[in-house]
Amino acid sequence: MEFANFPFLSAILLSCVVGLLVILFIPDERKMLIKWVSLVFSGIAMVLSIYLFFAYDKTKGGFQFVEKVLWVKSLGINYHNAVDGFSLPMLMLTGIVLFTGVLTMWELETRVKEFFAFTFLLVAGVFGVFMSMDLFFIFVWYDVSLFPMYPLIAIWGSTRKEYGAMKLTLYLLAGSALILPGILYLFVNSGLNTFNLVTLMQPGTFTPFQQKFAFILLYLGFGILAGVWPFHTWSPVGHVAAPTAVSMIHAGVLMKLGAFGVLRVAIFLCPEGWQYWAQLMAVLATCGIVYGAFVGLAQTDLKYVIGYSSVSHMGIVGLGLATVTVEGMNGAVFQMFAHGVMTALFFSSVGYIYDKTHTKMIPELGGMSKTMPVASGYFIVAALAGIGVPCLASFWAELLVFISAFKTYPIRGALAICALVVSALFMLRVVQRTFYGEKRDEFDHLPDVSFGLGIPRMILVAVIVFFGLFPSVMIDVIQVASIPFINGLP
Amino acid sequence: MKLWMLFIPELYCLLMGVVFFGLAMVARPNPRRDYFVALLLASIGVVVALASVKLEGSLFFEAYRVDLFSQVFKVMLAMGFFLVVCLCTELNGIEERHHPEFYLFLTTCTLAMMMLVSSVELLTIYVALELSSYSLYILVPLRRGYGIDVEAGIKYLMVGATSSAVMLFGLSFLFGVTHTTYVVDIIHVLPNVIGTPAAILGLLLTLCGFFFKLAVFPFHFWAPDVYQGAANQVTAYIASASKVAAVAIIIRMVSLVGGNSQYLVDVLVTLSIASMTLGNLVAIVQKDMKRLLAYSSISHAGYVLIGILSMSPTGYASAIFYALAYLVMNLCCFLVVVKVAQDGSDLKIAQLAGLHRRSPILAMALMLAVFGLAGIPPTIGFTGKFLVFTAAMEKGYITLVIIAMINATISLYYYIMVVKAAYLLEPDVAQPQLAVSVPTKVLTASLVAVMVVFGVFPTYLLEVARAAARMLL
Repeated sequence: MEFANFPFLSAILLSCVVGLLVILFIPDERKMLIKWVSLVFSGIAMVLSIYLFFAYDKTKGGFQFVEKVLWVKSLGINYHNAVDGFSLPMLMLTGIVLFTGVLTMWELETRVKEFFAFTFLLVAGVFGVFMSMDLFFIFVWYDVSLFPMYPLIAIWGSTRKEYGAMKLTLYLLAGSALILPGILYLFVNSGLNTFNLVTLMQPGTFTPFQQKFAFILLYLGFGILAGVWPFHTWSPVGHVAAPTAVSMIHAGVLMKLGAFGVLRVAIFLCPEGWQYWAQLMAVLATCGIVYGAFVGLAQTDLKYVIGYSSVSHMGIVGLGLATVTVEGMNGAVFQMFAHGVMTALFFSSVGYIYDKTHTKMIPELGGMSKTMPVASGYFIVAALAGIGVPCLASFWAELLVFISAFKTYPIRGALAICALVVSALFMLRVVQRTFYGEKRDEFDHLPDVSFGLGIPRMILVAVIVFFGLFPSVMIDVIQVASIPFINGLP
Repeated sequence: MKLWMLFIPELYCLLMGVVFFGLAMVARPNPRRDYFVALLLASIGVVVALASVKLEGSLFFEAYRVDLFSQVFKVMLAMGFFLVVCLCTELNGIEERHHPEFYLFLTTCTLAMMMLVSSVELLTIYVALELSSYSLYILVPLRRGYGIDVEAGIKYLMVGATSSAVMLFGLSFLFGVTHTTYVVDIIHVLPNVIGTPAAILGLLLTLCGFFFKLAVFPFHFWAPDVYQGAANQVTAYIASASKVAAVAIIIRMVSLVGGNSQYLVDVLVTLSIASMTLGNLVAIVQKDMKRLLAYSSISHAGYVLIGILSMSPTGYASAIFYALAYLVMNLCCFLVVVKVAQDGSDLKIAQLAGLHRRSPILAMALMLAVFGLAGIPPTIGFTGKFLVFTAAMEKGYITLVIIAMINATISLYYYIMVVKAAYLLEPDVAQPQLAVSVPTKVLTASLVAVMVVFGVFPTYLLEVARAAARMLL
């Protein structure tokens, strides 16, 4: 057993689990109390995750805040948490999105208790994947984070919610149907009788063939959740169907879980498989970027627009990982973070507009900047971030990825950059049609975002701008993990 | 310690049977008295089984062995029996004057299964198996006139009798090849001759009798009709305790081979894949909850076989763990079935609509149980699947594991349909709140706790299962 002086990571997990239990024991009718409890516990999780990000010792590097407890001896399973430069941004992202998500759902009135209970269960799983260093626990947390999606979307969602929920759940669990054999394959073939990631990632544990084989299983399994083309079709449908906070958590955090799984499990354990399959990864990622941009162009539903832009943006993450370079990895992880915050802002502002106008069809809206200037403002900031405007976080992420992609794969890199222009086009078109142009009288009486409801959006905007102005804060942390990793490659 | 003390759990069951036999003689039916007597006796039964878990020895000229393997299964059977009796507060599916008989045959069936898991001699195995089957042949058509019960009873009897005949035929082959009926001797002889057609045929035909119990493809035909046709409590028993005993005896028989028959492995792999796939695909279209659980049990038989066909101590241990997990999850499902269909009728999945409002605790228990059956963490069902798959992977059956995982994903569809009914759909006509008594709540909560706690902390049960599996070799 091994513990840092204070188990911060377990505290984050506990804040979710305890929050869940407390909510379960509050009667249904005490809606306000449930919301406050959720807010407090999500606040604790957020503060802890931000604290960790800044408390991490960059000069020392490696895995820090290690917590290790023997769980099942005969199978070599440990409860083993630790963070490094890759997981810190993800933890912080999860904390921020959870907190703002809870605030965004402040006006929820139906089945409040169940909503927040499921949300906490989901987020506990997400935190768990990001901090766990044991393959068994990674898989457990991964599945824990997936199945609450079904009730969350199917009960509180909109637009073909049951179809969307079912499609999403089946797709993602089909992914885990590939992951578990992959993990077990590695476990058995290592001959070490341990699920410990740190032990298994020692060079020479697996033969090149084993790495190639396991990598493709794990890549496809986690890739489904990361929205890798052509397995992305669940994602726009699911995003559209989900209620606002769930869309935020889902597009903002859960899709990153897939990309992070590829990084943490597939790439860490099978680096040779990674180099072998990098070409394929790059092709799929480029397809995703181009495809997402063009399909987004044709959408008339605001949430579908964001859904397809997510596919495109997650393609950028994939492309960054496929370059097998330090810049590429930095860009990919940075993009995961930036895209997470940005989509959360997107869905948060669309959610508000939809709540008030009861439509998210672009032709039915129009001139919203005059009826709801503040709500529109948030959306426009998100759109600008999505395009990759300088001074916003995504800019740096995309820049890093594209530079390294252009160096490694000139043609695919060029294609991806062209697609970026298309995505800029469709974002601007959406902004122009929805927020400018003819004002519609039927929305005149609708209130704009109040200060209280604006808080979550403000936090998200502040994060985007902060990391846009000071990208080195983020990149320095990621580098601590990526440089040694790339240098250690065989 | 006297030798007869090894036989205490079985003797106790016999005693219970005598008590119920006496109650059946009383002229005036009194369901409440019968229920409380049964509950009291069954709970003592669990204690007795637990108390005798450490016993070891053999009886009846070595035909009967008491060891950790058998005692662990006896505890499971006693618990299964107890939990099924707990579900009998409103035994509306069965006529009041038949209640003592119902308990009597449940008891004899439990007794027979306890004997089955301890038997190490082929004829004793056969006798024990038949005793349990005959008890169930009577229990199934005992249901109060729904018409379908007779059909189910006859179907069960026909399929059961056929598979018994096949099994006897197989036993004769085994005897012919090994010249003994003692498992202890067979275990020495069989691995040397397992390559011969007669030995492998004999073993496979013998296994057919147990596959019938477990409802493995192609011996599954009875399951949907019997599940639907029998009274809910009887179905709960068939689906839980009876399956556990079948797993035990299949493990015992397969372990005879000593793990070096590729041919047997191939057959078991085929049956396992066929069971999983067939069960899962057909379950998708079911409208009746019990039929759905029947097809799900067929697919779970396939998952258990994966652990068994690994033919390693870890494989057998994983199968034991899986059997226990399956017992708990399934009883939890049936608890909900029994409580929602309080008049003892069949339960359509659509009738679950609005359950989250009618009884939040039952809805939550149902959700956890079906997600457990689907193999979602952090439930015991996931841990079971994980162990089973690990054992198979150690033998290098990666294709089998992938097929099984794909099957688990398919199964998720219909399990989610159940959750959807309970949490999403609203009934057409407003239904009243379900009156869930405090003991039922405690029972539900403890089943849920077992599912989650042993899913998260499997170490203890896993060690027990491993120790039990070591007894086989």
